[in-house]
Amino acid sequence: MTIDQIADKVKGGGRIDAGEALDLFRHAPTPLLGQLADVVRARKHRDGLVTYIIDRNVNYTNVCVARCNFCAFYRRVGSPEGYVLGFDELFRKIDETIAVGGGQLLLQGGHNPDLPLAWYEDLFRAVKARYPSFKLHALSPPEVIHLSRLSQLAVPDVIDHLIAAGLDSIPGGGAEILVDRVRRLLHCDGKATSDEWLDVMRHAHRAGLRTTATMMYGTVETDEERLEHLLRLRALQDETGGFTAFITWSYQPAHTERGGVEATGLDYLRTLATARIVLDNFDNVQASWVTQGGKVGQLGLAFGANDMGSVMIEENVVRAAGASYCMDEVEIVRNIEAAGFVPKRRNMHYEILGDPICRERDVPRMLELATSRDEGDTHVPDELAKYPARSRGGKQLRLIQH
Amino acid sequence: MSGWSRPRHMPVTNAELTTLAASHDIINLGMRADEVRRRRHGTRTTFVRVASVPAEPRGPLVLPSATGEIRIGGAPASRQAAVERVREVIAASRGIPVSAFSLADLELLATRESVTLRSLLEDLRAAGLELVADAPYDLLHDPRRSIEEANIAGLTLARLTVHRSSSPDTLPLLKAVTELQRSVAVIRAFAPLARTTSPSMPTTGYEDVKRVALARLVVDNVPSIQVDWALYGPKLAQIALTVGADDVDGVSAEDDMTEGRRRGPLEEIRRNIRAAGLEPVERNGRFEAVAG
Ligand code: SF4
Repeated sequence: MTIDQIADKVKGGGRIDAGEALDLFRHAPTPLLGQLADVVRARKHRDGLVTYIIDRNVNYTNVCVARCNFCAFYRRVGSPEGYVLGFDELFRKIDETIAVGGGQLLLQGGHNPDLPLAWYEDLFRAVKARYPSFKLHALSPPEVIHLSRLSQLAVPDVIDHLIAAGLDSIPGGGAEILVDRVRRLLHCDGKATSDEWLDVMRHAHRAGLRTTATMMYGTVETDEERLEHLLRLRALQDETGGFTAFITWSYQPAHTERGGVEATGLDYLRTLATARIVLDNFDNVQASWVTQGGKVGQLGLAFGANDMGSVMIEENVVRAAGASYCMDEVEIVRNIEAAGFVPKRRNMHYEILGDPICRERDVPRMLELATSRDEGDTHVPDELAKYPARSRGGKQLRLIQH
Repeated sequence: MSGWSRPRHMPVTNAELTTLAASHDIINLGMRADEVRRRRHGTRTTFVRVASVPAEPRGPLVLPSATGEIRIGGAPASRQAAVERVREVIAASRGIPVSAFSLADLELLATRESVTLRSLLEDLRAAGLELVADAPYDLLHDPRRSIEEANIAGLTLARLTVHRSSSPDTLPLLKAVTELQRSVAVIRAFAPLARTTSPSMPTTGYEDVKRVALARLVVDNVPSIQVDWALYGPKLAQIALTVGADDVDGVSAEDDMTEGRRRGPLEEIRRNIRAAGLEPVERNGRFEAVAG
């Protein structure tokens, strides 16, 4: 098929296959890709709405045994820069989130061997006891697998435990590229192979949870592998229908072991548009201002995105890799309107919650995202003493705590 | 210089321009601008590596070997200081084109020192200066006259810039720039994106794309539409090159590896231009292609 024929197929609502997707991604002029992605977006979102969520992106620990070579965020077990947030710190973050109109934490962290499943369950229960309607969008598939290994429970059982404790939905992090050749080169096949990642999502969907899906491109993958990732997500979505949204971003190379350079802005727009076209069974595609900056993030709205993601309030992972953009609600709303769309607040299920909070009342401007902890704060939360540690350093720490 | 004449076909009518400027269809607008850009420059995309040095006499003067333009930045304290600094930099320049100062600052300096702008510019020319670094359209007291004075004094204007975007409606500004060029005819490059924006309310990506594209469509008598690499960042600058811009200013002349294992600025700019399907051509401050 020629590019024009593939374009006609997309415009007519047809599904494109791997070869056609590759042809489009490689050869379609960027404006055409944008126009096709926009056709698909408009078909799914006839009302001209662009949504966003007010939630806080919290990383409960940076200690991680996975050691992915693209990650600038993690610290080894025993590192003086390693941290675990205390329950009281997390409550404070929730209070701050509620104060600016947010109703959810996006909670993810490293694979810390000294945090057993009980710590997570107790944390979730404590959050739900204090804030019954507050949502926990927490623990990406590799974290669930890590807990399954630590607790010696099967993945569906871990998910059941977490749901019983208050888990509301699962973020699609840790997908990187769902091709094992790539995962091996990124040293992230140990934390989850492609099948394992997809399996966690399958189990979560079966257990009634909605989840998102992500893709981090721009490391070692070929064009074919980037598209294979999308096709694998599309296949699982056909099976379960459990994904609410897709989010893609470019690998952020600064301060990582892998190093290298970041994919360009045009590569982002082309990848985003191709994803919107290929993922014809995903309702929502987010723009990633946190990695691309507000400007290119907003341009994503012309390349298939219908959602500006989250105001985040806090961000640690991308910042560790050198990018520090910030968009508060005022900025997100202004950007959506400047692109000709109508901004609406949503929850994780993409239900519309209402108009922007900043239109209803004065919200203090936020020109910089918070971090997990103030620099130099190395305190160890008291409640950690209650949970058995696995690592040697962790065990010593517990002894000191007792 | 060739390529300065008005294209034979006006790309768009006035009514079309108004519609395009009001529309949110940045893809269509970008395509129209890209057509005009390609008709004029093909895929050729120029960039210049700039070494910035401060205006103070005896200030730091680091000139990496890859420099294509030495730019003396900041407002000079006095006429004497300006002349002195130009002499110093020219003496160290090894033949690299030197640009200096903003024409708006020179207007102010002339008034402050009660001399004519012409005589100030002639002093700078006599000190060896070749290029006025920029003429910020919205800061100039009398853009047409001041640019003509620079020309008469024997100085070339490196670029026309816009200091601040005061209004989202760019068409009046762009039309005024076209008019200006009609009378002065010496503007080689126009950088339509504002040099300063508010940190709490920066221009949006849509606004930037529209402004670059409309600049290419409206300002049809200026050869190059320019975007600043350092100011706007690689991502937006690269996108700008696909919607009307053909020249990249402000690429760092330092080829160091301070950013971990990141490649140097030269490789980075070339990679970005090529990834946009365009052909990178390094130029110097005189718009001459640099071998390599
Ligand atoms: S990406 Fe996640 S799993 Fe991998 S090293 Fe970083 S924190 Fe650990």
